[in-house]
Amino acid sequence: MTTVDTGAPRRPRVPSFVRYLARRLVIALGLLLGSTVVGFLLVQAVPGDPVAANLSDEALGDPEAVAAFEQRWGLDEPLPVQYLTYLGNLVQGDFGMSQHTGRPVLEDLLDHVPATLEIAVPAFVLSVLLGITIGMFAALRHGKAADQAVRVGSLLGLSTPPFWMSLLVLYLFFFVLGLSPGGGRLSPEFSPPPTVTGLYPVDALLAGEPMVAWDAVQHAALPVLVLTLVTTATLVRFVRSALLEVLRKDYITAAYAKGLPARTVRHRHLLRAGLVQIMTMAGLTFASMLAGTVLIESVFAWPGVGNYAYASASALDRPAILGVTVFVAAAYILINLVVDLLYGLADPRIRLS
Amino acid sequence: MPRRFRVPAHRRSVVAVSLVSVLACVLSACTAGRAGSAARDNTLVVDTSFVYKTLDPGRVYEQTGYLAVHALYESLLTFEGGDVTEPKPGLAESYEVSSDATRFTFTLRDEATFSDGSSVTADDVEFSLERLVNLKGSTAAYFEGLDVAAPDRNTVVVTADEPNPNVPVLLAMPAASILNADVVTDHGGTSGRDAASEDRAQSYLDSTTAGSGPYVLERNEPGEQLVLTANDNYWGDAPAYPRVVVRNMEAQNQKLTLTRSSSPEIALDIAGTLLDGLPPSLSVSQKPDTAYFSFVNTDPEVSPVGSRPAFVRAVRAALDYRGLADLLGSRSGPARGLIAPAYPGALPEEDTLEQDLPRAKQLLADAGLTDPAIEFIYPAITYRGVDLGTIATKVQGDAAKAGITINLRPLPLNAFLEQYRGGDAQMGMTPQALTYPRADSMVRVMSPGGVNAERMNWTDDTASAAVRSTTADFLAATTDEERVTAVEAWQHAMHRDSPYVLLGNNSGTVVSTPEVAGADYTPAGWIVDLAAVRRAG
Repeated sequence: MTTVDTGAPRRPRVPSFVRYLARRLVIALGLLLGSTVVGFLLVQAVPGDPVAANLSDEALGDPEAVAAFEQRWGLDEPLPVQYLTYLGNLVQGDFGMSQHTGRPVLEDLLDHVPATLEIAVPAFVLSVLLGITIGMFAALRHGKAADQAVRVGSLLGLSTPPFWMSLLVLYLFFFVLGLSPGGGRLSPEFSPPPTVTGLYPVDALLAGEPMVAWDAVQHAALPVLVLTLVTTATLVRFVRSALLEVLRKDYITAAYAKGLPARTVRHRHLLRAGLVQIMTMAGLTFASMLAGTVLIESVFAWPGVGNYAYASASALDRPAILGVTVFVAAAYILINLVVDLLYGLADPRIRLS
Repeated sequence: MPRRFRVPAHRRSVVAVSLVSVLACVLSACTAGRAGSAARDNTLVVDTSFVYKTLDPGRVYEQTGYLAVHALYESLLTFEGGDVTEPKPGLAESYEVSSDATRFTFTLRDEATFSDGSSVTADDVEFSLERLVNLKGSTAAYFEGLDVAAPDRNTVVVTADEPNPNVPVLLAMPAASILNADVVTDHGGTSGRDAASEDRAQSYLDSTTAGSGPYVLERNEPGEQLVLTANDNYWGDAPAYPRVVVRNMEAQNQKLTLTRSSSPEIALDIAGTLLDGLPPSLSVSQKPDTAYFSFVNTDPEVSPVGSRPAFVRAVRAALDYRGLADLLGSRSGPARGLIAPAYPGALPEEDTLEQDLPRAKQLLADAGLTDPAIEFIYPAITYRGVDLGTIATKVQGDAAKAGITINLRPLPLNAFLEQYRGGDAQMGMTPQALTYPRADSMVRVMSPGGVNAERMNWTDDTASAAVRSTTADFLAATTDEERVTAVEAWQHAMHRDSPYVLLGNNSGTVVSTPEVAGADYTPAGWIVDLAAVRRAG
């Protein structure tokens, strides 16, 4: 059989991974736009009048004062106009002005996000390491005393309210043992280091201030501990059940039967097969950490996204609430995108499907 | 012969460098530790649950904002310590009042300077007060009807369009702080009539200071901390602490932190029942400056039961005021009148309210009210260490003893405000503090025609003659003394005939560690004068 050259130039074939990436990016942008619509409508639906939440009783009795407030924050415009104005500004990186801080929302977020990252990243890394290790340990000892102990421990971690755990940890390590410097990011005698990354320990080291870095680490220790405990409890249960499912597969039995070392079976077959599910859960966990753990941040007086969201909601500060909503939506979408891409790298069947 | 262990030469150098590094770290840690300790002794730490939106004096309204603004700026007059009976000289060294209380002439201090070293002039005062009114912010309404003129560099004349003995008190409020007009104008500020839409100085004033107070703003990190440092150009005595860090912290944490603290530190929200169990080494300064009251809607369409005057009187008679005072953790005792004991015009102890259940039942029977039931809203918050739910439950229990059914409906704060301010609530409860330390601010909002009264649909038409006449008498009084007398009669009339039921008083509190002195709570609005806090001993 011969092939005929038609003479038409062949279109260069776009690698499947790039096409997969492009598709995911388009979907992510659509989701982000959708989240702004939903966020905007939800904020409007919240009971409460932003004018009443922000003006004094006396000012509320003064129509001029009410009108001045509405004009200043664009509340006198029809809803669709308000949304389109918001969207137009958002595209240009303008999240609006916060009513309760009087600063640009983006500036507020850039201040609060590093604080959340400072506890979320170490807690996430620790949780993933502990979650996988303990989850696998329990799965491999399914039904035995060690497995039962892990299950009870993780159940305890899951059922303990984070704010209560925070109070307990603070009381024990700060008040009783005096091992922790207490709440906040830094002791009052220290000034924050010059901002490079926004992460105090890193910036302090870059500025050559080891004591400030050490103080920042000490302050972060307890919130990281609580976040780690809460998240590890979730991950342990998830990893355990994911790996138990894989352990029942024939190819695992076959791997053991053909005499492969247990370590090889665990790492090459068991863990790898469970990786896709574990990545999903880990991604969602990290996104929820970035969304801010309001109660933990509140107990430890930690000025992260959660505290900012709480303060914004209390003041019915619509631009700030929307800013947090968009940030959280973007965080979820971005992390899901990264997880999706990792799926694609880990399992070619996914990107080709 | 055993071989002698020897470290290779290149390893020895690595070990030596490591040892030197460790030593350097330890030494630097020790040095920094000593420096940290010294810095700690020179830093006054203030723990409080943040409530502020801005540090712009023209727009500031919440108490954390007042605390900071009072340290950063000065007004013409001020109050010293916890005494709010008479305004004292501030930027004005003296003032004169016309006999009809409409013209107030202030003479400024020659030596007063702003933090940039420039002099405080009458033009700055005129600019600041006009900007305040034209910004139409939360406090602007108090200053309506005042005209400010600067006839010369050191003289300010404030003219009121009607007799107003409260002008000196109003001019001691943090909102009436004097700004450096040139600096504020350079950063987008304006005092023109269009200031509400055209003034752009808020973000500047949120990040720096344009005042003459004992401190300047080093850093404003909303939701985290405010850092103040001593103003090098301050014309008065330098504050005892060159640095103040105001930290955002929940009340429960403040209690834990202060209990362990061994450095200069004060907490502003350990109040009510949170004061129980504090170590005796901590000092507590407090003044009962908040009134808790219940309101009942007078509109029969909104509240068929509550609109009956006999119902309100029966609720009043049914309440156990001593029990309520215990729940409020108030050291001022049971309720007396709408004006809290911290302020001029508060009723004396012999006017303490008492429970009278038989009278409550009789009032209901006489009015033909059988098993009356009403919905009662309240904000589901903890205010000054008191869970408002416990107060509402106590009211419910007391009323039940008289045969009144109160159905409690706790609401998120914003939802509560919307329903309350919309005039749709049958009955409810809220705390209320004076906006400035004179009964005037309470009388104007709670009397018929006032903002609070309108929410109860209570107007001049439905108010009693006694309420109308005592209100008129109060507003007609042209001196502080006359108003103090008039407000006592007003409170008695309100207790008989208004749709408000006083529940009790709660205190504002400052708790301090043994390292500090002079941390006195003030009901003037700014909680504590940070510049007046000094080292103990």
